[in-house]
Amino acid sequence: MSEHILEIRHLSKTFGTHAVLKDIDFTVDKGDVTSIIGASGSGKSTLLRCINLLETLTTGEILFHGQDVTAGKINPSAYRAKVGMVFQNFNLFSNLTVLGNCMIGQQKVSKIPKEEAKNRALYYLNKVGMAPYINARPDQISGGQKQRVAIARALAMEPEVLLFDEPTSALDPEMVGEVLDVMKSLAKDRMTMLVVTHEMAFARDVSTHVVYMADGVIEEEGKPSKIFSDPESPRTREFLKRILNA
Amino acid sequence: MENHMFAQLFTDIASLWAKYHTMYLTGILNTLILAVVATLIGCVIGFICGILQTIPCGPKDNIVKRVLLKIIRIIIRIYVEVFRGTPMILQAVFIYYGMPYFFGVSFKDIWTVSIIVVSVNTGAYMAESVRGGIMSIDPGQFEGARAIGMNHLQTMLYIVLPQTLRNIMPQIGNNYIINVKDTSVMFIIGFNDFFAVHKMVSGAVFKYFPSAFLEMGGYLILTLVASFLLRKMEKRLAGKSNYELVNTDTLTMSAGTYSYPRDAASPFDETSKDYKGEKA
Repeated sequence: MSEHILEIRHLSKTFGTHAVLKDIDFTVDKGDVTSIIGASGSGKSTLLRCINLLETLTTGEILFHGQDVTAGKINPSAYRAKVGMVFQNFNLFSNLTVLGNCMIGQQKVSKIPKEEAKNRALYYLNKVGMAPYINARPDQISGGQKQRVAIARALAMEPEVLLFDEPTSALDPEMVGEVLDVMKSLAKDRMTMLVVTHEMAFARDVSTHVVYMADGVIEEEGKPSKIFSDPESPRTREFLKRILNA
Repeated sequence: MENHMFAQLFTDIASLWAKYHTMYLTGILNTLILAVVATLIGCVIGFICGILQTIPCGPKDNIVKRVLLKIIRIIIRIYVEVFRGTPMILQAVFIYYGMPYFFGVSFKDIWTVSIIVVSVNTGAYMAESVRGGIMSIDPGQFEGARAIGMNHLQTMLYIVLPQTLRNIMPQIGNNYIINVKDTSVMFIIGFNDFFAVHKMVSGAVFKYFPSAFLEMGGYLILTLVASFLLRKMEKRLAGKSNYELVNTDTLTMSAGTYSYPRDAASPFDETSKDYKGEKA
């Protein structure tokens, strides 16, 4: 029996009168690579942002190792340090170098001494193939490189779960591969990941679990082999047909 | 004829300078110190107001925090409107001569009052500049910082304010130059700045134009030097325009999963054909 890292229970989110997420329930276990797929506007990104508390939930709870993080007992900053997030638009700190981006969180949030933070940052930058660029500033490198640095920045905090919010959607096509390769290698290292993606090949071949969302609800979830070859729901089938033949 | 007039002007200036240059120089020094110190303190005030005004606060936060933040925002608002909306010369008079009424004491030290007045005045302008500067920062920067676990203060100190500072450098320069000139109104409470020297000297020897000529030149030099230095500072804040690749760091080469320079078989090769054509 594997340990639940994250449990999402009855999560709902409304913006005004518009319900974006309706009664979402699912769990993330250690080592899971969960892909969340679905059409634009189905609430995938909002779900991820809720999990990282960047959006406040309207109702429901998020359990991190069994503890509710929305109840106010757990410091949201401490929780966020353990749940890494990679954004569609990278969000690298433009006042810092590549190395600084990967060190600042360790130093200021985790209070790790400078030398150790630097070593750890270099280790993860090396892992994503960006170590030679430590002196560059974010506006001096390409989109794919930025995203790899963003992944290293998240990894340097040594999170228990890594959330990816459409990590390749803002990239030029020729840069998508390098970022997916990094994510694949993380999956191989048994990193627990939750990935909102439009990359169906990644969802099918790399993830251990696929969640299909439509109109703010989880329409179907299961093993990728099952979802991609024999989906239960007609909506899932329709979506996959449309996106795979596009 | 014309030559004669100019010659007269320069002799007058020369004689003024010969006789009163220590006073002029002291005036310049005082003006400079007051402008620099007050601009710096004003910036600090502005940044503090900026941080306080942008503390995130949602309907889910507890009532005490919300009320407190509301009060802080109102106080800052009043501060900004009052000190931006009244002449500094009047503020100086108001504070200097108002103290005995409110606290029963008067300021002994003209320096203290002057620094307070000019700083508080600058702070009111800076508060707005900083607020604008913070608003211009990409929301993604806040999210990136929050996502690695930073709280509001850390996000501000390490991520947002350094970027804000870079963006509002021209405004800080503006404020500094305005201060160099506008500290001249502090003569009203007896501060011995550059302009006060003009009043004294011209009052003593009735050489109004030659002294004014000298003052004009003096102020212009002060502000031109300031502009030059500010430009240099802006360039430094912008950072280097190029960077060096690091290929020799021993840790870099040994610690990771694969080594650079990348070879064709590298799984991270940017020319990798994996996943191509399968984009949604």
